Amino acid sequence: MSLTFTTDLSAVREFVRRCAREAGLAEARAIDLVLAVSEVAANTLRHAKSAGTLEIWHDANEIVCQIQDKGFISDPLAGQRRPAADAAGGHGLWIVNQVCDLVEMRSDESGTTIKLHMALRSS
Amino acid sequence: MKVARPSSCTWRCVVLEWYNKGVDLLTVTVTARESAGEPYTLVAVAGEADITNRDDMRAVLDAEVVLRPPTLILDLSGLRFMDSSALHVILQANRALDRQGGVMALVAPQEAVAKMLKLTTADRLIPVFPTVAEAAAG
Repeated sequence: MSLTFTTDLSAVREFVRRCAREAGLAEARAIDLVLAVSEVAANTLRHAKSAGTLEIWHDANEIVCQIQDKGFISDPLAGQRRPAADAAGGHGLWIVNQVCDLVEMRSDESGTTIKLHMALRSS
Repeated sequence: MKVARPSSCTWRCVVLEWYNKGVDLLTVTVTARESAGEPYTLVAVAGEADITNRDDMRAVLDAEVVLRPPTLILDLSGLRFMDSSALHVILQANRALDRQGGVMALVAPQEAVAKMLKLTTADRLIPVFPTVAEAAAG
């Protein structure tokens, strides 16, 4: 399933909620996934000059949310360092890295692809 | 922006509604109250706050902060979602309030909002209370 978003992040979150429910993700983890996808999609609105595309799929083991846009993230360690609590920015990708089981980020001049993985069964 | 008059209002209230595709995503309601003779400002934030409507929330909070309230209480019980950019608006208001000797308190965050406060450790910067009455009592 895929969704193209331009301004309506509420629709993005509802889409993630529905897919997470269908995949059988636990409620508390679904809240985390909604938060993570919303943060990445907000980055698209902030930095990319294009719409973003969200694709979600799952198998028996994990649910994956892939967000693509035409933006470029130059910092390969974006989201890896904890910002100060009262920092003016930089919390978004940090949160994404905290709540997801795996975050894959690829970015070059042609665009950015971020894949968020979350295990369906806690092992 | 729509001005309404909720029943709890004492003398000043603003209701801000953010419409997105016909759905009101964010409502910010401001009321001036008193607790044991001490005035405080109660700002109820309801709906979903994110990068698309945080400027509206900022406008309301800034307008309240310049009035130099001794205590500004943010009732988050109706807020279903808050992203990091909306949190920054709250943190900035907290900093401005703190500089002028005021105090901010947060009340009753739902699970998703509480998670955001915890992940960013914002809940260590701004005290969180279960009810408005407890926040007002300090």
